Formats: sequence, C-alpha cells, structure tokens
Amino acid sequence: MTDMPSGDNLRVSSWRLLLANPLTLASGVVLIAVAIAAGTARWIAPSGINDVDVPNALQPPSGAHWFGTDELGRDILSRVLVAMQASLQVSVVSVAFAVVVGVTVGVVAGYRGGWADIVFMRVVDVMFAFPVLLLALAIVAILGPGMTTTMLAIGIVFTPIFARVARASTLSVRTEPYVAVSRTMGTGHGFILSRHVLPNIAGPLIVQTSLSLAFAILSEAALSFLGLGIQPPHPSLGRMIFDSQGFVTLAWWMAVFPGAAIVVIVLAFNLLGDGLRDVLDPKQRTLAEARRNR
Amino acid sequence: MRTLFASPILRFVGRRLLYSLVVLAGVLVLAFALVHLVPGDPVRIALGTRYTPEAYQALRSASGLDRPLVQQFFSYAGSALTGDLGVSFRNGDPVTATLLERLPATVSLAIVGILIALLIALPAGIWSALHRGRISDGIIRVTSQFGVSIPDFWMAILLIGLFASTLGWLPTSGYRPLLTDPGGWLRHVILPGLTVGLVAAAIMTRYVRTAVLEVASAAHVRTARSKGLAPAVVTSRHIVRNALVPVLTITGIQLATILGGVIVVEVVFAWPGLGRLVYNAVAARDYPLIQGAVLLIATLFLLINLIVDVLYAVVDPRIRLS
Amino acid sequence: MRRPAVLTAAAILLTFVLAACSTGERVDLGGGSTGNLVAAIAGEPDQLDPQKTSAYFSFEVLENVFDTLVEPDANLEMRPALAESWEVSPDQLTWTFHLRKGVKWHDGTSFTADDVVYSYRRIIDEKLANAYRFATVTGIRAPDPSTVVLTVQQPTPNLLTNIGGFKGMAIVQRKNVESGQIATHPIGTGPFAFVSQRSGDSIVLRANPDYWGGAPRLSGVTFRFISEPSTALSALQAGEIDWTDSIPPQRVAQLRDDDSITLAVTPSNDYWYMALNEAREPWNDVRARQAIAYGIDRAAILAATSYGTATANQLAIPKGSFWYTPYDKYSHDIDKAKRLLDEAGVGKQSLDMLATGDYPETVTAAQIVADNLAPLGITVNIHTVDFATWLDMQNSGDFGMLMMGWLGNIDPDDFYYAQHHTDGKFNAQKFSDPEVDRLLDAGQVETDRQVRRQDYAKAATIIADKVSYIYLYNPSVIQAWTPDLSGYRARRDGAIRFRDASLGRDGAN
Repeated sequence: MTDMPSGDNLRVSSWRLLLANPLTLASGVVLIAVAIAAGTARWIAPSGINDVDVPNALQPPSGAHWFGTDELGRDILSRVLVAMQASLQVSVVSVAFAVVVGVTVGVVAGYRGGWADIVFMRVVDVMFAFPVLLLALAIVAILGPGMTTTMLAIGIVFTPIFARVARASTLSVRTEPYVAVSRTMGTGHGFILSRHVLPNIAGPLIVQTSLSLAFAILSEAALSFLGLGIQPPHPSLGRMIFDSQGFVTLAWWMAVFPGAAIVVIVLAFNLLGDGLRDVLDPKQRTLAEARRNR
Repeated sequence: MRTLFASPILRFVGRRLLYSLVVLAGVLVLAFALVHLVPGDPVRIALGTRYTPEAYQALRSASGLDRPLVQQFFSYAGSALTGDLGVSFRNGDPVTATLLERLPATVSLAIVGILIALLIALPAGIWSALHRGRISDGIIRVTSQFGVSIPDFWMAILLIGLFASTLGWLPTSGYRPLLTDPGGWLRHVILPGLTVGLVAAAIMTRYVRTAVLEVASAAHVRTARSKGLAPAVVTSRHIVRNALVPVLTITGIQLATILGGVIVVEVVFAWPGLGRLVYNAVAARDYPLIQGAVLLIATLFLLINLIVDVLYAVVDPRIRLS
Repeated sequence: MRRPAVLTAAAILLTFVLAACSTGERVDLGGGSTGNLVAAIAGEPDQLDPQKTSAYFSFEVLENVFDTLVEPDANLEMRPALAESWEVSPDQLTWTFHLRKGVKWHDGTSFTADDVVYSYRRIIDEKLANAYRFATVTGIRAPDPSTVVLTVQQPTPNLLTNIGGFKGMAIVQRKNVESGQIATHPIGTGPFAFVSQRSGDSIVLRANPDYWGGAPRLSGVTFRFISEPSTALSALQAGEIDWTDSIPPQRVAQLRDDDSITLAVTPSNDYWYMALNEAREPWNDVRARQAIAYGIDRAAILAATSYGTATANQLAIPKGSFWYTPYDKYSHDIDKAKRLLDEAGVGKQSLDMLATGDYPETVTAAQIVADNLAPLGITVNIHTVDFATWLDMQNSGDFGMLMMGWLGNIDPDDFYYAQHHTDGKFNAQKFSDPEVDRLLDAGQVETDRQVRRQDYAKAATIIADKVSYIYLYNPSVIQAWTPDLSGYRARRDGAIRFRDASLGRDGAN
C-alpha cells in the first residue's frame, strides 16, 4: 500500500488504485450482490418468512430448503434474506442520521470555533464516555424495542464519531493560509465550506461511513439478540441466532447461516473501508486514529 | 526520568483530570436523564400485580419519585459522591454493594480476555509488521479483519456448541470465584475469555502492527541498522521497547471497550458480572440499579481512558502541549 | 517471539488437563448426611415472602422452607402437615385443627397456634393476593396453643385445598414478618432453613435437623438460577448440578435414551391458554372470539411448544382427574372462522398479542398464531416484554390477546373461579356470564362430589363455548436428575420437595 497524496485532481489514479486491490474489489462486488439480494429479498425468497410448518421443523439443509428449517418449520434461507434487508435498512438509516447530524455538528464546531466548539465537543465527549452498546441499550430501553427505535438509538450513538472526524478535517482546513486569504478577499463562508472544507472532509468521512456501516450491522444484531431490536415475527439475524441457542446440538444450521450472513456483510464493509482508507486518507492509519475513534 | 517531574506533565494531568470531572458530571446527568425518561411506572412494576393506593404512595415517596426532577437529581448526585447509589427496586439491596459484588466477575473476564488477546495479538502483530508485504502478513491481516467482523454472541454460541455441548470438555456457562475454586474458575472462564479475547485480539493485531511499523521506520532504528547491528538485536531491543508504550495504550483502550461490550457475552454465558446485571436491570425496570451500573461502567471507562491519555502524553510531548 | 508461544502452549495444555481432571466431585460430609444437592431453576425468585410472591421460581425454593396446615400428597389429596388432625362440625361451619406439638421455627423458637392465626389474619387484613381463598371464613381463633378453629359462613368443601394447596398460604413467623426480614431472610418450619442468597446466582438452604417430618438426609440444597435451558441440561449431564426442571422440550426425545440422567415426564395439573380482551372491540362479540378459536392451529402450537410432551385439552382440568370433562368442540377450520368473522361484521383487523420472553412458549405460539390468523385478514402484532411488565399490561387491560399458563391447581374451584367469575380476581379478559357465575358459586359450597362435578362440567363447557379462555393443553412436568438422587419424585402440582431426598453413589434406598 503506497502512500497517496489526497486531492481531487488525483481522482483517476485513486480509482485505479482502489480497483487494483483485490480485497477491496471483492468486497465491493460482494456488497453489490448483498444489496441486490436484500433489495429484492421478498421477491427472490423461496418461501414466506413466516410460513409455519411444524411437521417439517428442524430439517437440515436440502434441495427444498437450502439453509434448512427452524423450530417452527420456516425456511431459513428466506428469513435470512429478509433479515439481511432489515439489517441493511437499519444500518443505512442510522448511519445516514449519524452522518447528517454528526457532520453538521463537527463542521460548525470546527469552523466557527468558540462557544459552539466548546459546547458541542463537550457533549460529544460525554457521549464518548459511554460504551457504544450500553448507550444504545439504554436508549432502546427508554423508547421501547423495535426497528425504528433501533435506528434512532444506533444513529444517536454513532453521531459523536462523525462529529469528531468532521471537526478534525474542518480544523485542518480552516488553519490553512489560503482560507485566511480567501476570507480577507471577502469570500463568503458558504463558498469556503463547499469549495475547501467539504472536499477535504469527504475522504475520511467516506472511510468512516463504511466502517460505521459495518459496526452498525453488528450493533443491530446485538440489540436484536438481546430482544430489544427488530421484533418477532419479523426476522432479524440477531434474533435468529438467539433462537438457535436451544437447538445447537439438534440443528446447527439455525445458528450458522444467520451468523455467516452477518460476517460476510460486515467483513465486506470493513475491507472496503480499509481499502478506501488506503486511497483516501492514509494519514489515518495511525495510533492517533485509534485514540480518537475508540 | 527527570521529565516526569517537570511541570508540563503535571499541568497536563491536572487539566485532563479537571476535564474528566466535567465529563463525569455530564455522564451523571445523562445517566439520570436516560433512566427517568423510561416509560412504564417503576413503582407499579415494583409492587407487582396488586397493591393498595397507600402502598403505592408509600413506595413512591420513599423512593423520592414524587419530588421535582431537578431536586431528585441533586439529591442523587450528592449521595452518589458519598458512595450511596440508592437501593434496588426489586430486592431492596443497596446498589453500591450489588455493583461491587458483581464487579470482580466482569474484571476477571476482562483481564483474561485482554491476556488472551495480548498472547495472540503481540506475536501476530509483530510478525506481521516485520514480514510486511509477504504472504504471512496478508494472512494475518485478513484473519484479523475476519475476527473484527464476527458478532461476539455468535462466536460464543458456536464455542459453547462445539466445546461444551458437543465435546463436553468445558462447562456451558457459570462462574466460580477464583479464590475459593481456582480450578473451577479456570474451567469456567475459558470460553467467555476466548470469546472476548479473540475479538479483541483481532482488533489489537492491526494496531500492534501499525505501532511496530511506525517505530521500525523511526530514524534511530535505521541508524542502529546502519551501524551494522544484527537485525535480531535491533528487533528485540529497539523496536519492541519503543513500541511497548503505544501497545500499552492500545491495551488500555481495549480494556475500556471490553468493559462496555461484555454485556452480550455475559448474558450468553450466564456470567454474574456487571453486564448481565445491567441487562437484567433494564428488563426489570430497576431504575436505581440501571443508573448505578451505567454510572459505574462509564466512570471506569473514563478512568481507563484518562490513564491511557496520560500514558500517551508521557510518550508523545506534542500531545501535552495541545 | 518464542516466549509467548511457549506460554500459550503451556496455558492450553494446563486447561485441558484441568478440564479432564475436574468432575465436580461433591464433598461427602459423612455422619448420615448424604451431601448437598445442587438444583438449577430457570429464574430467580422475586422475593421470599411466601404470602406475597406469585412467581413459581419462588415457590420452588419456599416449598422446602415453609409449611402449611395441610398439604397435598402425591395424589393431590390433602393430608396432615402442621395440623395433625381436624374435625368439621356437623353443620359444616366449624373446622377445628389440632396442631402438631414440638414444632420449632428455624430460629429455635416454638411454633404455636398464634402463628397460624397471625399468618391467616395477615393475608386477610393486608388484602394479599390469596385473600380470596378465605372468602367464606368469618373467624379464626386459637383457643389453646395447639388448636386453631376456623369458622365459615357457608359449607366450604374445598377449604383444605384453599389453606394448603400451595405455599402461598404458608404459616409465617410474626417476628420475621414485622422485622421486614421475611422477603430476604425467611424463617419457616420446613425441612430446610434459608442460609443466604446471592443475587443473580443462587440461594443456599441447609437441612433443619429438628424438622417435624424427620431430619432430611441431605445436608442442604443450593438453588442455582440458570435461565438458558440447554445450559442447565449440559450442567446436569456434566455432573455439575444434581437436579433441574429447566429442560428444553425439544431435547426430551433424545434424553429418554440418556443413561447419565433420570428423566421424569409427568402429567401435571397445569394448563396453558389464550385469552382475548373482551373490553376491546370486536372481541366483545362471542362470534369473533369463536372465530379465533377455530382459526388457530392447536396441533402446531402443541408440537412447537412441547414437542409431544403435553396433552391437548380444550378445557382446563386434565384427564386422569376426577373432575375431568371431555370437550372437543373446536378444530382448525379456517372456513368456519371466516364465516364467523363475517357474521360478526369483522373486517381487516389488527390484534395486539402479548408475550413474554420469560416464558418462551408464548413467543413461539405467538408466531404460529400470527401465521394462522393472517389469511383471516387479522394482522397480529407481537409485543414481547419481561414478565413483570407482562403482568402490568395484563392487569391494566393493555392487550388484545395473550397466552399464559396457570400452575399447580388442585381443586376445580382453583381452575375456574378466579379467572372466569365476573368478580374473579384474575379475570383480566373481563368475561362475564351470569349462568357461569351461578354455577361457580354453587360449586363452591356443594358438598356432594357428584353434583359438584356436574356444576363444574357445565360451567367449563359454557366457558369454552363462549371463549372466555381458549384452552390449549396440559403440559407435563419435565424434570431431570442424577441417578444418584433417590427419595424424590416429580409431582403433578409442580411442587419441588427435597425433604426425603438423598444423594448416594451406591444408589441405596
């Protein structure tokens, strides 16, 4: 992985570099496939997600049921597909929320400085003082379990990291001499923001988005596992793993396939994020990032 | 060593400490607010299915729930500072005592997890860094990526399914205190420790690798090499020693992360620690217990991060002055 | 890096050596005692005051700590406990109980008739949940330290089951109650005395050598809380625990062939049911309720929740009981269900189904019901909450339909009165039928067994016809224990009695 100077005029070479990395390429392909499968889940699913068929419960993978059946005779493949759709939905919405709110907060704090900076960043620090799952758990406990509250909880919990990333990038731009020169020439804030700040934060932001999507899927799965996320009978990968506990020795496929689905998606997002990072923001691969991102 | 006693360090520590206290105050407010926004009347739930209006009022005023919210907060904050976090709604036990009772289990799990993680991440990360670009480096990096992508509860269930239910080598759950039953403690802590440790190892391997890479490229190492010292000598003396502090800071961060992330692992393994306590308290709407546990975990989190920051500042003077 | 690798290898080796060696041997205390029994139950008691708790987990423990005046034997006939004998006056209105002498509380003080009076008065005066069992009692007095007299206003054939059917009517010690200690440190007269509780982990009891029924052969009992059934089962098979009732029904089939444990699948007097909230439209219309009764697939629910261990039943009282009434009006008939819904004028409808994670069968069944009712245009929304919240929501009528079970019933009045009488304390579904009320009231005072049986048969039939409850099945009591355990049997009422149990490697007696 060679170091690449960031800059939008090098975009062409960036793409080529991105595609040259086999892992990143593979992740991209996998994610596209996953997105298609999830998007069309209800149409391509071979059976209904709640077609209870108790006489055929706990069947191993076969021609009729590629992933086997669960304790109520439901087709696991269909449920995994629809559950993937739900997981992606939750992650995308929650990360989108976190990006919008977090970037706004971070840019304002970094650009305006002063009171805005102090107040916003202290709030961010307080949120960082809570472990991620604990905070999400507490929020879902307040608002009641369900898909919408899960989205909100994960969105809220992920906002601080985007705020920090956005602020850091904004700060590094704001102190650049050409920005000060622009200001003395009378250029509006809006112009500076869109021309200088946003392109600068784009790189780290994209990387963080990919990584946060990965973590969002894991968080949603954990919340569903604990019974606080997506509620039955709507399938969710975490809940399917929970239900598989009583049947581990009788029906290993109930645990393996939902878990594998999670791993595939999360791994793809992680590898993609890493590949993007190598291209867009090589500075981040340091210990400092570890401290900041916790 | 003289620099340790110079004022910049102490000033930095002082500033960070003050700052941490401010954050802690914010944590207190947030913990209090979170719990009091929960719908469902805790008094009704605590009293069960039938009770008289008198009993309801009595418990309500005894818990102080009939006073204005702000007053409740300050009274809570005040007692919290003296170590009194109230009593559990469910069984009337003092919250502080319950938390302290459950703390050792979580701490032993976290420590075992970190030890396993270090046992794996240190050699793997160093090897990976030193053999950068080679196949073994690639394998280690992909494996660690894989490890980061596995949900910990899934790994726990698979481990239990294989080693406990099918092979019967290890118990499926439970805990034995270290001091009264060391053999039992070890047998019971292995699977949960592995679950926590393997995931942490995956994360830490990458950072160890990065830390070693950064140190290896540092000027003085190149100088040592150019002086003709054997590569092995350079490795063991310079690289390892200088990468030690960043690795310690990584360990600290991971430890803090584990403290927050053990909830699910503790639930799966029926591990009687803080995480499972929080989960049960949330399910039972036991306000005082939720509040106390959240406060304790966040405080520990803050404390560990504070220590990490200070350690890091000791190493990197640039941070001190920022 | 050789050193870490060696350490790792050594650690792994040590682990396996330890795992292989340790078999969880119990220390044999000798001296006639056969050691401590470790029992795993599925949840933690919410409190240890027998008169106030309603959780089965609490009663599993308290069965061994407290006594009632009379108690059910293996056939669920009432026999002497703290009362040695009793008489009923010819007019059926005065019951005189002669108490056992020389009985001591766990703290050494003597048990007297005053304790009985205090206990019963406490239930009545504080209006505790079980006060309704004293509905006909007008007077309780202790003419001397070993006699208690109860006067009732009308003949009460089920008085004995009312005062002794389960430990909710236990005799408690005044000092223990007034000091507030009873909920956390109960003192009783039973075969085992409370020692300690470790929240989230276990409760420890030790044997009471002065027990009136003879000193227990066990030195003590430790109740551990293991919420995951497969975990408890693995612990039993590994020899870490000696007894558990936390057994996933889907494992029963393979456990029957397992020689390392003794499995008991006993028909019980428990029953599971579903109820529709009649305070909510359109479920106040009996035709809509009947449609649901025809719409659900009972066989599927039975199979998925009990894996063949339960017995289907469309009424509450199980086969094998004297009070059993055969009834099988309902079947899985979607067309009939649709017709009934049309008659009742019910179109597309949503139904809030209440389930609780603490009883997984409710979650399983809810999903089956959701699938069953979808073709009828009914969308089932499943709300899964913890049991405490479930109770709250049930009692405030915050549900459309729910599923739950009633445990440990003995007398037919136990099965029907409180749940289906208009004034019944547990009638959360708000059912009301004057004929049912009349029959249930009559049954309470009828002393002729045959006539009584008729009363309850008629009442039950109306209850099912009018769908106050949709009865599903009678589950079996499923328990498993180590072959070293003797002197214990699984009971129909689910009461866990370890007083005669002993652990012996030689399998003696």
